Amino acid sequence: MIELKNEKVINLSLCFIYACLVIFFSAHLPLPFISVLAGLCLWNAFITGKNIAKPNAWLANILAAGALGLMVFTIGMSDTVILFVAMLLLSSLFKLLQAKNKKHYHVITTLTFFSLSSVYLFSQTIVTTLTVSGLYILNFAVLGLLESKHNLKISAKQSSKLLLMALPLAIFLLLFLPKMPAFWQLPGPKLAKTGLSEQVDPFDIAKLSNSDELVFRATFSKQPPLTPYYWRAIIHDEFNGNAWLTSDFLKYNNQQSNQNLATEQNTLIANYSVIAEPATQKWLYGLTYSTSNSKNVDANALGLLRKQSYQAKSLQYNVASYQFSVNPLNEFEQNRYTYLGFKQNIKTNKLAMQLKEQVSNEQTFYNALLNYFVEQNFTYTLTPSPMSGNNTLDQFLFENKRGFCGHYASAAAFIFRSAGIPARVVSGYLGGEYNNDNNTLTVRQYDAHAWVEVYLQNKGWTIFDATAVVAPERLNGSLSQNQELNEEFKNNLDFGLVSLSNFAAINWLRLELEQLDYQWSSWVLGFDQEKQNDFLKSLFGNKTSWLVPLFVLITAALCFAVYFIYLNWPKTKTAKLPPIVKAYNEILHWGNKKNITSTDSLSPSQQLEFMAKKKPSASKELIEFKHLFENSRYANKPFTKERKTQAKDLIKLIKSSK
Amino acid sequence: MQSTVTAIIDDLSNVIFGKQKQIKLALTCLFSQGHLLIEDLPGMGKTTLSHGLATVLGLSYQRIQFTSDLLPADILGTNVFNSNEHSFTFHKGPIFSQVVLADEINRAGPKTQSALLEAMEEQQVTVDGKKYNLPDPFFVIATQNPLYQSGTYPLPESQLDRFMMRISLGFPTKEAEKRLILNLQKRDYSQLPKRIDEQQLKQIQTQINGVTLSIPIVDYIIELVNFTRNSHSFAASLSPRASIALAKAAKSWAYIDGRDFVIPEDVQAVFSSVCLHRLGLHSDSGEAQVRELLQAVPVPV
Repeated sequence: MIELKNEKVINLSLCFIYACLVIFFSAHLPLPFISVLAGLCLWNAFITGKNIAKPNAWLANILAAGALGLMVFTIGMSDTVILFVAMLLLSSLFKLLQAKNKKHYHVITTLTFFSLSSVYLFSQTIVTTLTVSGLYILNFAVLGLLESKHNLKISAKQSSKLLLMALPLAIFLLLFLPKMPAFWQLPGPKLAKTGLSEQVDPFDIAKLSNSDELVFRATFSKQPPLTPYYWRAIIHDEFNGNAWLTSDFLKYNNQQSNQNLATEQNTLIANYSVIAEPATQKWLYGLTYSTSNSKNVDANALGLLRKQSYQAKSLQYNVASYQFSVNPLNEFEQNRYTYLGFKQNIKTNKLAMQLKEQVSNEQTFYNALLNYFVEQNFTYTLTPSPMSGNNTLDQFLFENKRGFCGHYASAAAFIFRSAGIPARVVSGYLGGEYNNDNNTLTVRQYDAHAWVEVYLQNKGWTIFDATAVVAPERLNGSLSQNQELNEEFKNNLDFGLVSLSNFAAINWLRLELEQLDYQWSSWVLGFDQEKQNDFLKSLFGNKTSWLVPLFVLITAALCFAVYFIYLNWPKTKTAKLPPIVKAYNEILHWGNKKNITSTDSLSPSQQLEFMAKKKPSASKELIEFKHLFENSRYANKPFTKERKTQAKDLIKLIKSSK
Repeated sequence: MQSTVTAIIDDLSNVIFGKQKQIKLALTCLFSQGHLLIEDLPGMGKTTLSHGLATVLGLSYQRIQFTSDLLPADILGTNVFNSNEHSFTFHKGPIFSQVVLADEINRAGPKTQSALLEAMEEQQVTVDGKKYNLPDPFFVIATQNPLYQSGTYPLPESQLDRFMMRISLGFPTKEAEKRLILNLQKRDYSQLPKRIDEQQLKQIQTQINGVTLSIPIVDYIIELVNFTRNSHSFAASLSPRASIALAKAAKSWAYIDGRDFVIPEDVQAVFSSVCLHRLGLHSDSGEAQVRELLQAVPVPV
């Protein structure tokens, strides 16, 4: 068995890497399984730290079988991606527990490269990338330790150097390698990434405000339009008594592209581009009536945007948003958007009738309803009290009077429809955090919102948002910037950077990080075929189709040629001069200037003696230097600090001699 | 030990006047366990030097006068039939001695020369298929007349290579010769004190082994040796055995000079003695060429 010099360091480093991975995956793996992984990590670190013998194969195999069972039981067989990751982590940790020789550790480091890379299946932000890069360096350092007798510091330095050397190549590949469509696609992770669902159940959205996960970023090419920003994602047109759903009709009958419609539509509101984070759902986000000219994005007749396919990476697309058309609804649409179907919430229905009697037209009804919410002292809360039963809307409107956007939207849409005015609930995101520096709006899960679109004659679809009157601050900016709800919001939020934004420094750090992450998303992750084409066009002009592969080939050939020449280049003597030789050269240089050196080929000692003879004023120092030189150069005595200072002093004295 | 070495040099200087450098070189050679070739005209003090060395170092000494009719058996010894015991007994020749002075080695025939040189290399002799070990330490100090003298068989290069050094004493200075004539009675090497014994000699040799030979010096030696290999002005070029001899001799020279590390000057000091005969050069005409060589090869800093 090969005795490993640095086994302890190697083992602990690998433990550290897996501990980091376990922390990362704790958000994606079930708790019992994560506890098992964490336990394995700790066990490993403990027995390594205390020099306790590793468990024998028999015990380890039984434990592994048990853990495997637990894995399948807690994760299930449906989500193969997370199952694969779990299996990888589990096997690596068990292998580490049993590793005894170099070969074993080699296997583990190789597995670790896969484990580390699997992080990218779940997150590609700059923070993740930097962390994973750091762990890559550590893993490379461990690999180095397996093959050498260096310590971890030197090994890590070497591997960082390697990674830095690989960086230009990575940049080159990113810029010039033709972007191929993916050969296979990942089955989307089942864990909900986006907070919206096709069914607006008021309580669902209340849960959402817990998450400060990024949903998308929008960058405006010019001045952004006026607030509020209602980012539409889903339209719910069917009420089932409790929740608002997207009817199958809506899902399947509005698929045609709206490209032509859009151009005939009303005025353009804004042009912008959006980078959407990876999500399993197909919907994308846009303001009002949106169209997009980007590939992979469909825009439908309702002015909503959809992905053409699921993607595990973030998607960047351009949007043009227009005002809604004022064309009247046809009869079928009119019926569908006023249909309620269930005879529940009788009080609410009654309220609608009352309001309708008081007003003359739809616009006044709209205003009256807004007024109603104000007058009745409705309040906005992030933590509404639970409501149940068949008449939840009645409970909300007449008993609790406290609620989140979902409650207001549900109630308002119900009232509009009861009064015969076409209405639909729209869910999406409201606002976002605006960054002046790059004209970018950052929208997070806690910005999720639901509101109502009402069809008013001569005005078309109009946003009705009771939240606007109940909590007007909510309309401008993000929930995190909302003063009044701030406390409640932070109490509700999981611990994170946003929850610490009270501290100026941390808030600054958070904003800087976001800025950086934005650049990362738009320039690295979002560097798709279109951007590459633009880039190459800017380099070579328009004829890029055949230039790209040619350029890649030529550059690759050039790289190899340079490398080949480098390998065969005659090695020149560039060995570092020892300090004592440098000191001697300095004196020799001085002597040459003073013309007191011999032109004969003399040894350094002879030369120094010669100079001493020619320059009696410095002869003592020169002879002293000669002894120093001989001692350091020929007697292999270490050139210590004292000798160094002695040499320096002597040179000073020699040079200053007259 | 250093003081003993100085004392030895002083003692020998009292017998051979004004030849300090040659004495030092001869000592250098013996301290590095090499054999010494002294090339000179008759009557220059070759015998005096070799005998003096043996006496001062406290070693047993034998002198063999090489003549054209000398046979190998005369040097190595021979099996003689003992009629009492009815068996052959080996009678050791003069070579079984710690210091052997092979006087006028180039006057004997090649066969005899070879017998001596084989013994030098292997430190053992074989007579009638039986091996006999030579004493330790074992030094051969050979003298030879300059080759232009009549009745000489020049040593082939391969055998010259066995001698670590070749020195020549040369004529004494006027001053020295005057002293020589005046001190005629006193000049007796048998009166020299025995300065060290075998044990101490061994000790000196181990100390010399411990002398530091730094990389720049090794580089210098290699540069020098390579110069003779690449230059066309030499009849022969230096072998790796020569570079090893150079390094060993430089170490001894440094030790005799009272240093425990070698400096380039040590290499230069021993260079002509170690290399002239290997380069196929005469002692006197070769000196100039060696000076040129030392000029041409810069000392690595």
